[in-house]
Amino acid sequence: MINEVFHFLVFPGLISAIIFGLLYEGILRKVTAHMHNRIGPPIWQPFLDFVKLMSKENITTKDSFGMIMTLAPVISFASALTVLMFLPVGGFTFLSFSGDIFIVIYMLIMAGVFFAVGGFATGNPFASVGSIREIIQIFAIEFPFVISMITVGFLMNFNLSPFFAWQFPFALFAFLVSLQGKLSLPPFHIQEAEQEIVAGPLTEYSGPRLAMHELAKGVMVWTMISLGSVLFLGATTILTFAINSLLLLFLVIVLRTIFGRLKINQSLRLFWFVIGPLAVIDLARVLLGLYI
Amino acid sequence: MHDFFLPVGPQHPALVEPVHMKLRVEGETVVSLDGLELGYNHKGIEKALENRSWTKSVFLSERVCGICGNFHTSAFAQGVERLMGIEIPDRAKHIRVIVSELERIHSHLLCLGLIAHEMGLDTLFHYIFRDRETAMDLLELLSGNRVHFSMNTIGGVRRDLDTDNIRKVEEGLDSMEDRLYHYIKVFERDSSVKRRTSKVGILSEKLAIETGTVGPCARASNVNYDIRNEDYLTYKELKFKPVIGDRGDVLERNIVRLKECVQSIKLMRDSLFSIPKGEIALKLPMMIKVGEGLETLSHIEAPRGELAYYIRSAGDRPYRVKIRTPTYANFHMLGNILKGCQIADIPVIVASMDPCMSCTDRVTLVNTKGKETVLGKEDFHHLNGGHHD
Repeated sequence: MINEVFHFLVFPGLISAIIFGLLYEGILRKVTAHMHNRIGPPIWQPFLDFVKLMSKENITTKDSFGMIMTLAPVISFASALTVLMFLPVGGFTFLSFSGDIFIVIYMLIMAGVFFAVGGFATGNPFASVGSIREIIQIFAIEFPFVISMITVGFLMNFNLSPFFAWQFPFALFAFLVSLQGKLSLPPFHIQEAEQEIVAGPLTEYSGPRLAMHELAKGVMVWTMISLGSVLFLGATTILTFAINSLLLLFLVIVLRTIFGRLKINQSLRLFWFVIGPLAVIDLARVLLGLYI
Repeated sequence: MHDFFLPVGPQHPALVEPVHMKLRVEGETVVSLDGLELGYNHKGIEKALENRSWTKSVFLSERVCGICGNFHTSAFAQGVERLMGIEIPDRAKHIRVIVSELERIHSHLLCLGLIAHEMGLDTLFHYIFRDRETAMDLLELLSGNRVHFSMNTIGGVRRDLDTDNIRKVEEGLDSMEDRLYHYIKVFERDSSVKRRTSKVGILSEKLAIETGTVGPCARASNVNYDIRNEDYLTYKELKFKPVIGDRGDVLERNIVRLKECVQSIKLMRDSLFSIPKGEIALKLPMMIKVGEGLETLSHIEAPRGELAYYIRSAGDRPYRVKIRTPTYANFHMLGNILKGCQIADIPVIVASMDPCMSCTDRVTLVNTKGKETVLGKEDFHHLNGGHHD
């Protein structure tokens, strides 16, 4: 019993997810800033932002649904958190059964969908455009993402476990690109493109609701990078997990700095006609048993 | 899919300067530009110029714009000098060219950096702004100021160049030239940049001529329109040839701007090499008098295009100054090139026009309770207490 409470609340659950999520967000901002040739905020800035936003008031505009606006970021956050329950982080597993890979896929979609729902609930034209883009992005990214997950899932009876996917370069590549898309970082930060549609779905958000969104985003970074380092880079111990995670984080940052934003049609075309088919090659190899 | 209005500005993260655009969009596609409201930045400078002496007016005209202020004073001073029938010393002409071209580089780099920012490539934005600092530092070295240089006065310039400064400027130009060639490569070859700028916001040559487009926007559409072709300052002796492009899209405008920067460096080198010795300004009385009722139109090639000053004299002060800024001329083609583009292209296209609202806002449009009122001549007279018929 005490073990379960620990897992839910401390590691890999709530507290560690919040701390590592915001820490990753901070590292992301700091290293990006150095690559941009500027100083950037301190690494603990996301914590300060979170506390500040939490202490502010909620503003609900006339056209928006306050309930949904409050619930949407919480559900996004909870979805990202749930995924961590199934991850064998650092070698020890909490919840694990055959087929949990599908729950992970569902939960990751939920996080995106509720991001969009939260945008639609505000009734702002920029938020509507952003939410439509988010939905299109989900359609675009899920194809290669799910294929790459299933490819490695096949070999582990759809039970999340450490696996080093070096035999499946295409699936690995598809996962890394979708990772960037799932985190909506450049070149796929289309749904919150500040230069085009202000903040996208987050335009009307403020105070604790925005804080929850930021938190959900941070936890999503931590979740996706942990997923990558376990499922595709085969981290079995705490040490390899840390190394893999930081490597992935660095890769994410490099991709973030060297690319500009794609347009939504370009992104859809890239995922469906380039990344997707590549991932399918590896899935076919697995299905036919044509791997080493 | 039903269409809806997308308001862009006056407060919008992409367009830092206040302009309000009413765009009708259908999904991701822009159907039309239904309204363009300026006037959030109206400073009343034209009116204020009428109450100042000629010398003081030069300093006020610099405050029209924070980026191309030196061009405003050049145009104003050139107009007044023409009214007075005086010719400024050769050394002053050279210094005006050098400061103008340096300012052109920093203005163009600012625009290019913003375009990079609009397409989500913040790295390029920060790099360009870092290299823009070289131009800013050189301007500070020459004029003592980073923003409003106050270099021009009626009858010449206010600060001289010494050999030490010339050497430093030449060194700065060398390092800047390397970076500019690098950026030309980046803008022409980088896939991320090309994907967002190539074949976006195409302005045809015909449309450019019909809508009176000026500056790099026109030159990127194969229109040879550059005031520097005409003989003012020393551009004729420098054998100036404008940079022309023919594709007319955002990419071409970027390339034209970059090549103009390289060309500016060449012009500056020639100027620094051939700068003659002598006075930097004519000795003029404190209170300059110009024949009453004389009028002139003074053009100049600002970074964004043709800048025109209409000046009419009232003896010891201007009777009327009308400033026509390049951004105002370029707004006319904006509706046409925005039509049919995607929402994602709007900021890139608008930034590629290099709008400067601060220059442009000269007419007040007051919108009260949904009713639009355009203030006419009578209203202004009324507001002004009935002075100046």
